Amino acid sequence: MRRWAPLLAVLALTCRASDRAVAGPAHRIVSLAPSITELLFALGAGDQVVGRTVYCLYPPAARAVPSVGDGLNPNVEAVAARHPDLVLLYRSPQTETAARQLEALGIRTMILRQDRLEDVARDARVLGQATGRSAAGDSIARTIDALLAPPLPAPQARIAYIVWDAPPIVIGGGSFLDELAARAGAANVFHDLSTPSATVSIETIAARDPDWIAIVRDSVNAPPPDWSRRREWRTIRAVREGHFLALPADLFGQPSPRAPEAVALLRQLLIR
Amino acid sequence: MKWFGLILLLVASLLAAVVLGPAAVPVRNLVHSPIFWDLRLPRALLGLLVGGSLGVAGASLQSLVRNPLADPFLLGLSGGAGLGAVVVIALHLGGPWTLPLAAFVGALVALGLVFRLGLVAGSVLDPRVLLLGGVAVGAFCGAVTTAVVSLAEASALRNAYLWLWGGLSGASWDSVTLVALYVPIPLVVLFAAARPLDLLTLGEEPARHLGTDVLATRRRVYLAASLLTAAAVAVAGVIGFVGLIVPHLGRALFGGRHRVLLPASFLAGGILLVLADTLARTAVAPRELPVGIVTALVGVPLFVILLRRWTAD
Repeated sequence: MRRWAPLLAVLALTCRASDRAVAGPAHRIVSLAPSITELLFALGAGDQVVGRTVYCLYPPAARAVPSVGDGLNPNVEAVAARHPDLVLLYRSPQTETAARQLEALGIRTMILRQDRLEDVARDARVLGQATGRSAAGDSIARTIDALLAPPLPAPQARIAYIVWDAPPIVIGGGSFLDELAARAGAANVFHDLSTPSATVSIETIAARDPDWIAIVRDSVNAPPPDWSRRREWRTIRAVREGHFLALPADLFGQPSPRAPEAVALLRQLLIR
Repeated sequence: MKWFGLILLLVASLLAAVVLGPAAVPVRNLVHSPIFWDLRLPRALLGLLVGGSLGVAGASLQSLVRNPLADPFLLGLSGGAGLGAVVVIALHLGGPWTLPLAAFVGALVALGLVFRLGLVAGSVLDPRVLLLGGVAVGAFCGAVTTAVVSLAEASALRNAYLWLWGGLSGASWDSVTLVALYVPIPLVVLFAAARPLDLLTLGEEPARHLGTDVLATRRRVYLAASLLTAAAVAVAGVIGFVGLIVPHLGRALFGGRHRVLLPASFLAGGILLVLADTLARTAVAPRELPVGIVTALVGVPLFVILLRRWTAD
């Protein structure tokens, strides 16, 4: 028993540390998802973030935070080396294992799955509380709720989001991009697919005959993609007619508290 | 009669491939539709050429290494192709032909390494050395690929794997023309090696006594079969089971003589891949399945029937 005493003492200490973290707001946060990092900065908790993934590039201030690598397959040791009192993870089988390992080190973890706009509202409240910024969290959540509350406008145009060309991958009804389109008055022609994204054939896109092809790019003025000049892609009417919507990646790349801004931009592009 | 049946099946599968699809095109209007001309027809023809190439490459390699388990991708080519594709994505190289070209070059590098290993210490492309070398080179390329994917900071890298298993979804008249011009050369080399391949299946010593230049035959067959596979992976990614199962079907129906087995494997491989791709496009429409999954789903039950027949004999 005496041999185990130091170990037990360490265990007791880490448990207490963990309890203390639960009691008050977190001060050293590692965020392992770009959408969560953006939300933390939007809450005004940017200076409490001490670690991010290599993909967390928005807001620009987030780039100054040290990167701990990949978020979906986290390097637990790199995360722990930032001495966080709270680690925020995106839900996946690997991150659940990582969360257990971090908890074993006495680090508090929260697993969030931010896929749709209603998730942004929910996480804004949860993270507002965790960071001691409940008022900011409620305010963001109310903005998103206000965006989602009114009945959907009647669709004026039909669009398809194409995220990859070989093989063709489109956005389905399970994604926040589908919601953004619906709020902007455009129907996603692949809304019936329940997953966030799906592999389809070019022929299926041609058969669904969207008016616009939406593509997430670096800027609104990005030229049409290279594949749009290829003969097999020109079987799609919108490709032949050059009807492309270039959606800036920093606004459309992740479910974000700036969703109202994204909807406004999309609506404006559809009118133009 | 068997040939007639095979040709009939081929025509039926090509017809099914151009008539069936997620877009509703009335058969009357088929020949006026860009869906037919620019999507379904090139895709069916590419399936025929790629499936046929994999069938012939599989049959030749199984005879060359004298192992019924040999598959065109067993000798490390898929690993090399995957590495090539991932490297150009990580280096942000663009252009419509960059990915296929990089996969082709990657497969050629793997081919060269395995070939060199096969000649190590005076070995005459010993089948055991080729198989072990192929597995080792493939595993090494796979490890480097995984390292690049986990270290580089491009989210597009995850899609390199999708491309590698993407099947015929990228079919175009360009890729059909390219493959149609390229594939006859290794095919002729393999068909011309039919007689020495017959002798090689008897064993190295008997073949030599009957006047076969063993090293020259092995070199020709290995290089031609690998060049066929490298072209297939460049335009259609890794498609499993066609090269493994089709030669066994061919032997069961047409016997083991390569003069007959190789053309039969070409037709059967083409039929299997065209049918599998038609299923992949239509079975879960509007989604599309990776064609390699369908070839496995169709091919493995066929294979089990064959195995039962062998063990019963």
